[in-house]
Amino acid sequence: MSQLHLSDEILMAFADGELEEPTAAAIAKAMAEDPAVAKRVMDFQQSRRLTRSALSAALPDVPPELQAAVSAQIMAYEASDEGKVRPTDTPSSSFGGIRRRPILKMALAASIVMGALGLGYFVGRHDSPEANRLLAQLNNPDIYRELNTLASGQDVELPFGRLRVISTYRVANGSLCREFRLQSRTETAEAVACRNGEWSVNFALAGPAKASAYVPSGESDLVATYLQSMGASGPLVDEAEVRALSEFTR
Amino acid sequence: MPAAIGQELVALLPRLRRFALVLCRSQPLADDLVQGACERALANAGSWTPGTKFDAWMFRILRNCWIDHLRRLRTEGMTEDVSVQTQLIGDPGEGPILNKLVLSEVQRAIDSLPQEQREVLLLVCADDLSYRETAEVLGVPIGTVMSRLARARRRLMEMTAAA
Repeated sequence: MSQLHLSDEILMAFADGELEEPTAAAIAKAMAEDPAVAKRVMDFQQSRRLTRSALSAALPDVPPELQAAVSAQIMAYEASDEGKVRPTDTPSSSFGGIRRRPILKMALAASIVMGALGLGYFVGRHDSPEANRLLAQLNNPDIYRELNTLASGQDVELPFGRLRVISTYRVANGSLCREFRLQSRTETAEAVACRNGEWSVNFALAGPAKASAYVPSGESDLVATYLQSMGASGPLVDEAEVRALSEFTR
Repeated sequence: MPAAIGQELVALLPRLRRFALVLCRSQPLADDLVQGACERALANAGSWTPGTKFDAWMFRILRNCWIDHLRRLRTEGMTEDVSVQTQLIGDPGEGPILNKLVLSEVQRAIDSLPQEQREVLLLVCADDLSYRETAEVLGVPIGTVMSRLARARRRLMEMTAAA
């Protein structure tokens, strides 16, 4: 290293730890000999720190609609055999070969909260703490206990809301899944829980309680879409449902 | 490894969105861009090699989506997206307002940089990608990454010192 040109790029690379050893040692030596060089390197370190702080401070929350839409994509991907589920009849979006995602539209329109416990999270609207509270209750052991026995169409009153089991399905991987609704005074959550040894909620939507007390079963397109993506069979009823429910509860 | 990619994606969403905002400077557009990139990533999940850096792989996909979008705008003529694009990140409702003066100064300075400098700055300084990884995301030589990055940081120091 007879002659080293101390360009901005070289000094910056040193500040970023990107230089290989012989060059790095030469820069260190130059810094020790010349405070002006040291100052230039420190400026690059400072600009990195400032940039990181400014951009991290400005890091906005991911909007729940976006999070929900991506979660839905992931669920569809994971539910498909090889992740090859593709939308077929949706109009093209402005993003090149990418299609406009109808799920996002639905999510926005319904002001819903959806989540996938399989991935270990729920997504909530920031302005709806009640919905979040209701979603948090979906894991309650009381619910799981009722799911083992309660027949479709029946209701039970639990401390945190009214549980109604809507229907029971066998999905492609053999799991037993149940669609149910949990209703508190102000909020309604619809969810699908599946049993693999024990119950876990795989999918949930929450929103304000409907004005009318009665909500027809299976009204949510999203739940239907989700069940479809899981390869759900027709609903199990009567004897078939009782048999399926008793499989693991002995 | 389907489960792995889903979790990685969710964890990366905030940073993906930040990169999208740096690219297109419009929140609605950025969200659509992120969603499009996620969809493309899931459709091509097989091309990600587990063990390699997932963020660099996703940033490249997101940037390619953005470039496709720009190409399409050019060929289809300017559409309503142009007006959306001119919205600045600092518009009201665009996230928490920085209360530290110096950070908002830096933020303003970053916003005023050309896009090619903003993106290298973000990828290296905020997302900690190496020069080589950044070069791969952007599809340019390392030398180009370094010259853009040095220019951006010099300019940043000048602007924040002068303010």
